[in-house]
Amino acid sequence: MGFFGRARESVPPHPRKEPRYDLPLTLESLETVFAGCADFSKRNVRLAGDGEKVITLCYISGMVRMERVSDYVLRPLAQDSALADCPDMAELMAAMEEGALYNLGVERRSATDRAAFDLVEGNCLLLFPGETEVLSFNVGTEEKRSISEPENETVLKGPRDSFVESVRTNTSLCRRHLKAPELRLREQIVGRQSVTTVDVLYLEGVVDPSLVERVQARLERIDIDAVLSTGNIEEYIIDETATAFPLVQYTERPDRFCAGLAEGRVGILIDGLPLGYLAPGVIGDFLRAPQDKSNNWMVASVISVLRYACLLLTLTLPALYIAVVTFHQEMIPTRLALSIIAAKRDVPFLSVFEVLILLLAFEILQEAGLRLPQSIGQTVSIIGGLVVGTAAVEAKIVSPAVLIVVSIAGIAGYTMPSQELAGALRIWRFLLAVLASAAGLFGVVAGAAMLVCHLAGIESFGVSYLTPFAANAGEQVEGHAVLRQPLKRTKLRPAALRTRNRRNQR
Amino acid sequence: MKRWAGVLALLLLPLGGCRADLLPYAREIEDMSLVRTLGVDADADGVAVTAATGGQGLDDPALISGSAGTLSAALLEMQGEGDSYIYFGHVGQMLLGEDLARRGVGGALDYVMRDVEMRLDTELYVIQNGQAGTTISAAWQQDSAADRLETLHDGAGLRSDSMSRTVRNVLSDLERCGASFAPALTGDGTLSTAGYALLRDGVLVGWAEGAAAAGVNLLLSRVDADVVELPQADGTAALRVVGAKTRIRGVFDGEVLTGMDVKCRVEANLAEGAPALQEEAARRRLEAELAAVEQERILAALELCRTLEGDFFSLAGAAGLSQPWRAEALRRQWDPSSLEVSVSVTAKLERSYDAG
Repeated sequence: MGFFGRARESVPPHPRKEPRYDLPLTLESLETVFAGCADFSKRNVRLAGDGEKVITLCYISGMVRMERVSDYVLRPLAQDSALADCPDMAELMAAMEEGALYNLGVERRSATDRAAFDLVEGNCLLLFPGETEVLSFNVGTEEKRSISEPENETVLKGPRDSFVESVRTNTSLCRRHLKAPELRLREQIVGRQSVTTVDVLYLEGVVDPSLVERVQARLERIDIDAVLSTGNIEEYIIDETATAFPLVQYTERPDRFCAGLAEGRVGILIDGLPLGYLAPGVIGDFLRAPQDKSNNWMVASVISVLRYACLLLTLTLPALYIAVVTFHQEMIPTRLALSIIAAKRDVPFLSVFEVLILLLAFEILQEAGLRLPQSIGQTVSIIGGLVVGTAAVEAKIVSPAVLIVVSIAGIAGYTMPSQELAGALRIWRFLLAVLASAAGLFGVVAGAAMLVCHLAGIESFGVSYLTPFAANAGEQVEGHAVLRQPLKRTKLRPAALRTRNRRNQR
Repeated sequence: MKRWAGVLALLLLPLGGCRADLLPYAREIEDMSLVRTLGVDADADGVAVTAATGGQGLDDPALISGSAGTLSAALLEMQGEGDSYIYFGHVGQMLLGEDLARRGVGGALDYVMRDVEMRLDTELYVIQNGQAGTTISAAWQQDSAADRLETLHDGAGLRSDSMSRTVRNVLSDLERCGASFAPALTGDGTLSTAGYALLRDGVLVGWAEGAAAAGVNLLLSRVDADVVELPQADGTAALRVVGAKTRIRGVFDGEVLTGMDVKCRVEANLAEGAPALQEEAARRRLEAELAAVEQERILAALELCRTLEGDFFSLAGAAGLSQPWRAEALRRQWDPSSLEVSVSVTAKLERSYDAG
């Protein structure tokens, strides 16, 4: 047992076997591969009018749509006498591949590995006696959630569709928003067990090609078991993991995703996840709400200023309270100081503990509210926030001033358009509060300096994280970071993205 | 591992016994008594200090006193009296007794300047014919002295013979001109205004009261509201003075400063009076009478400068602003007792509320 936990064990190599099944492509091999799988099905089919020619159909129940198998595969096999006239299996295969069967998608497979994956993906296989190759027909089910309104990104003015779990549906949504043929989709498989399709989307001629290559390369480097959650991709492609700040932006809204693509960013869609990622993600992106462009530019600017003020408030208010109440009492207006003294007179805890206890309680309430069903979650919030809060103040466990400070800081955090950014700010809020308790405003300033240094030191896909407030070495900082300009005047795409075509309008 | 060890060492640093040297000292606000009004008097030991804490209906007010040879020692002595730390960072008003002011205000002001808690923007008052401690005690019996003085400060703009002065104002005047002034309060415990205390070389040398006090405000262009009553044949006319602008220039004979020229423009409204007073001729007459009254006031204030031999109102500095190319000569040669003074006042009745 070491001081920082268990002594580190040596990590064994990742077992890697390529191909997974080094067997000849036969029915027996497939049966071996799917041994113990109750959903593996096979059926022998005699061709129409020919008692000699028997081929085998394999599929996995539940993954294929039975009507398609019956109508597009079995019916022609049973009824088309031309197929029975084929002299040998090789010609029969060729005839089927060239359109004797009605199914839209057909592929010839020669490796057991690929054929097995086809079965899992919802294809059915036709095996021909004596042949080393099989035909794979795409007859998979298309069972998926229908397109609904986004649940986590409120839409006031704008399209109300959201991504679903099917990557192909999501790409079709993007195609409908961005009809330019220049929209490119590069596909990769990630996850040795999940075999998840990951699509990289970008606009050819707009995006920086090196950015696409960089995203592709990082996806290719991922060698994990399964892509079942967002972190499985996100944490592997970002530049820096030693930060709480998000480095890629996610959205469940196709319009927002496509706006990012049109801006010159690269999008990532993952099969099974109802959201899309945009890279790079810098701090300016996380502070921009999607409805900013729907609002009048003046209204959007005012709201943006408010949002930045809330950022400072949520980050520093508890720390500033601790600092002024514990170290710099002269900074408080006299009447307010007298009011605070009167409120804190019988509270037994130090100010820093009061603040930290309430901040923790706030986090616990929030976590409890998230984990519970919506109706119970609201009850927990009401009981926790109002009843316990009021009782704690009346019992002189915390002072009303601290309750107000922590509540304001918490509510200000909810104005952040990105909850991931809000989460990072919450962590730094704790850190600043601790520093403030140790050294007052000096601690707050030191913590703020640490934060700025930290943010200045990280990049997202080669773009400085502090963009648009800072730029990479040797590059010009762009203006209009906080205020939104009228759209007519925003004629250029962000310089930091190094797009091939910076102009976005006439 | 090394990085985490470094972070841990930094976090544990405050526990290493070197906290007092490296980090500021923490003190919980509820363990403090905020002093809002501080009174300093001269006594046999040296100085006697009276401090009023709390008030506003939010914190229990208390009166603490102490005495010692110096202000620092007296305030330190007071720290042992209460059950909480006495904090001087919120002292808003400092009252000096007349005896102490006649002995010298330098010590008290110097303490404010050097102390880490006290503020230079503390308002300074001198008690006329009385002790600061007694005045604070008397005010404390009825209400908080601080509340009364804050009301006085807020309402200073409504009076033509009073204005707030901070320790910083007085200190900088004394440093620059060797003389200054501070508002005076009556010593009867009512905390009423009583003109100004005139300080020269840090010592109280006289008072500006009545017309002279109003003249001080005119000289410094600090008249926001004043009512001048002028008896007329058909009643009394009340003129509401709403502004005054005074310009002071030095009169030179070659390079020698020989006199001082004061030009004041006063603006007023007719607040009360017979309708006939709104005629043009009557208006001109009223303007002339108002100008004469204000001229008298200015002359009274200047007379104090001459007789008490001090530039209490920083007139040399004001003249230097009008003639910046002669600022240095004005500063060197300025001697109010020997300068020939010419004062001219122009009054303007801008409008009457019922003029239409």
